[in-house]
Amino acid sequence: MTGYEKLLEVREIHKVYGDGQISTKALNSITFDVLRGEFLGIMGASGSGKTTLLNCIATMIRPTSGSISLNGRNITSFKGTDLARYRGKKIGYLFQEFELLDNLTAGENISLPLSIHGESAAIRKERLKKLTRQLDIEDILDKFPSQLSGGQKQRVAAARALICSPDIVLADEPTGALDTKNSKVLMEKLSSINQDDGASILMVTHDANAASFCSRILFLQDGAIFNELRKMSPEEDRSSFYERILSVMALLGGGSANVL
Amino acid sequence: MFFEHIKRNGRSMRKDNGVYFSSIIISIVAFYVILSLGDQDVLRYLKTIESDAVSKLLALIPVLYVFSLFLLFFLVYFTNRYQMQRRSHEFGMYLMLGMKRTTLFSMIMGETLWNCFIALLAGIPLAVILTELIGLLTSRLIGFGIIGHEFSVSWTGVAATICGTLAVQLAAVFILSIKTAIKQPFYLLQEREVKAQKLPTVRSGRVSLIFGIILLASAYFAGVTLMRMIELIFIIFPSVLILGVIGTCLLFRGLGSIIGVSVRRRSADAAGLSVFTARQLQENVMHQWGSLAVSSLLILMAIICFVYGISGSYSRNSSEARTVDFTIRGEKEKIESMLSETDGIGQLISSQYEMKIGMLDSDISWHTLIEKLSQKEGSQARDSLIRDFSDRGRMYVISLSSYNALLDSIGEPTIELNLDEAAMFSHSVFAYTHEVLSDILSSGQRFIFGEKEFSLKTELYTSNVVADRSITLAYALIVPDEFFDKYAHDSSNNGYYNMMLSQDIVDNKGLMQAMNDVSEILSEKGFEFESYLASMGRQLFYMVAGSYTTFYLGIMFLIIANTVLGVKFLMQQQTTKHRYAVASAIGAGTSELERSGRSQIRWYFGLTILVALISSVFGLWSLIGSFMLSLSSLGVNIFHIVAIMIGAAAFFIAFEMVYIKVICRKSDSLIRKLSDIG
Repeated sequence: MTGYEKLLEVREIHKVYGDGQISTKALNSITFDVLRGEFLGIMGASGSGKTTLLNCIATMIRPTSGSISLNGRNITSFKGTDLARYRGKKIGYLFQEFELLDNLTAGENISLPLSIHGESAAIRKERLKKLTRQLDIEDILDKFPSQLSGGQKQRVAAARALICSPDIVLADEPTGALDTKNSKVLMEKLSSINQDDGASILMVTHDANAASFCSRILFLQDGAIFNELRKMSPEEDRSSFYERILSVMALLGGGSANVL
Repeated sequence: MFFEHIKRNGRSMRKDNGVYFSSIIISIVAFYVILSLGDQDVLRYLKTIESDAVSKLLALIPVLYVFSLFLLFFLVYFTNRYQMQRRSHEFGMYLMLGMKRTTLFSMIMGETLWNCFIALLAGIPLAVILTELIGLLTSRLIGFGIIGHEFSVSWTGVAATICGTLAVQLAAVFILSIKTAIKQPFYLLQEREVKAQKLPTVRSGRVSLIFGIILLASAYFAGVTLMRMIELIFIIFPSVLILGVIGTCLLFRGLGSIIGVSVRRRSADAAGLSVFTARQLQENVMHQWGSLAVSSLLILMAIICFVYGISGSYSRNSSEARTVDFTIRGEKEKIESMLSETDGIGQLISSQYEMKIGMLDSDISWHTLIEKLSQKEGSQARDSLIRDFSDRGRMYVISLSSYNALLDSIGEPTIELNLDEAAMFSHSVFAYTHEVLSDILSSGQRFIFGEKEFSLKTELYTSNVVADRSITLAYALIVPDEFFDKYAHDSSNNGYYNMMLSQDIVDNKGLMQAMNDVSEILSEKGFEFESYLASMGRQLFYMVAGSYTTFYLGIMFLIIANTVLGVKFLMQQQTTKHRYAVASAIGAGTSELERSGRSQIRWYFGLTILVALISSVFGLWSLIGSFMLSLSSLGVNIFHIVAIMIGAAAFFIAFEMVYIKVICRKSDSLIRKLSDIG
């Protein structure tokens, strides 16, 4: 499904927290592209800057310098209505802790972005039906989050992230709060939505298992891109890709002296 | 260092919880105003003439004060409890960093003390200024002029306000901080968010709602219809009260689940954040139905206090007209010699005359009048007139020359009577019968006295004959002097002597001062007398006492109800603020979120106020129907009362609007802070 059309262009991103002597460089000149239909993973140790990078793309924080363009439009300059439209319609965000509104039912949680953006009830119903079938959550729509298991919650959150058919889904450690079995279910669902519907996904994770579902992985260290892995599809299967990911992680663990 | 820390924490508490802090200041002001009542000009003056009643009122004030401190205690306790739960993590950290429990305890107490100190620093000067303004306004409104006014600070009031406020704050926080300080750090660190309360299920919610409505409806019905049976009032009134309170609680308990059902029904075609807004509201109502019910009842009580206070003071004020300034009782010669003294009070008065009142030595037959009355449409006034005239054989009579002197002194046209004529007089206290009586008189009436027929003037005279309001002649006849001398039992040796102050003196010194001067001279000379001011003072006392206490209670109820609502809402919003952040992350704009917050606040307050308003309509209806039956007797038009109620409602709406606006602003700023990107 991966084409060659650039969807997201990240150029020379720097992010510095604090100023003067107490400043910390979180991102140091990061440049990369995400192609339409791609399932890109970003990996790195704690503090490597992967969540900061994701938050910059999600407009939750502003980068200190550099530009991020989605479909050729620079999103770092968005304000007000443009910003709200971007957040809801152009990107879908999948949080590590699900972040479902616990006083809304699962169904209401999923349709909230659509009603915020004023979509008609008919369209909402149709999309809701399709997504809930794909994610296997049709039976729990009337339940409140407190009545759901972790895996169900994350699939509801995934449906909410996908309901507006965003250009790109940003996922921040989506399996971080799930057990192995539920992680696997979620990643299979995301992967099939990526392959069948061509949804572009950018996922931050430090779980090699989850990362093995990606088509390409960027490794970050100390705020800079350290390595890149690409799945050789279709000939490479998931387990050999997983092995390769582990070996890069071992390198990361040994420090940069070992590779340079 | 420790003190700096306390000051910093105190500042952040005041900033985070401005509404609560302002309410404490308003309470301090209200406390001082009521506690300094004894030092107000009006009361100081009334003390000289009505010392018994005033001391009774002043004895009642501590009771009111303690009652309001009791209400304030709950406000302080619950607000601080929530506040401490929010800071629980912080306290746990202090303990883990090596702070001693006693230090933690004294830190919390220190913060409370510091904030209390700041509130008093702001509240007391404000209260003193406000009391001065109220003092000026009351003397101006009552017509005393501002001559008697002097600036005063009630030091006992200040002391009692400080002690009461400190005691309530410290007691509430003491209990809470002990509870906090003895907890293990682990549990403090865990307790980040307030635990969810046990929520009623949809089914029990519905049952609550239905029972609530039934109970409220029966309370309304009983209040409006059954409370008129004065003889059963001691059974019916408490039952209405209990039904109403339980009904309101059940209604609010069930309201949340109904909101839930309607959200579920409409969520398929809801636009924007409406589902989010409704669910937030539902949660607020479900979690806080108790506070909503209590606030609603407090608002109801506040409305009733206001209307009662306003209408009470209005009705007492309206029926009094100044006809006689002084009435001296005593021997005619002694009084006349005193008035003729050159240095005496003769020059201070514009008119003086003897008010000759006596009683007829034989019976009058009111046969034709009673017959006429019986033909009239049945009413309370008619029945009371028939009763009065049936057993009124011997009538009081007033001599025509005396009454004409009175009319002359107040600039009214005098009466002319033939020998076979008389005029009807009735005191203004009996105004509720005046309409019927005037109507009967206008058709021309006759009565028989000593086998002779007399005709009555077609007009009814109501200008009071003496300064003493406690002497009320229900009905008397104004008769020609010849008739009076011949048939009346005159007690002229110990009669009434009326005086009117000269207008120049009143303009010069003010009515209050001029009357005081004359009163002093009369007392010195040992005369028994009654002044317009003293009897007005008695009326005034009831007015001041009634309106002060009801307004005070009304304001206290209103402040506490609104603060409970506002603080609860804002705290709930603070606890669930991550939801707003999530909604913002999935595309809701800041202005949309602000709108949602504001509409939640309007609904939240609106529901509470609506229930209170509905109850107040029935509450006031039953009050007018039972306790205030006597209103019409004071000559007050029912339309005036309705107009006053509308006025009170306008004040109330303005108060609520200000409060809601403040809470909306707070909510806006919280939401803006959340959606700001760094």
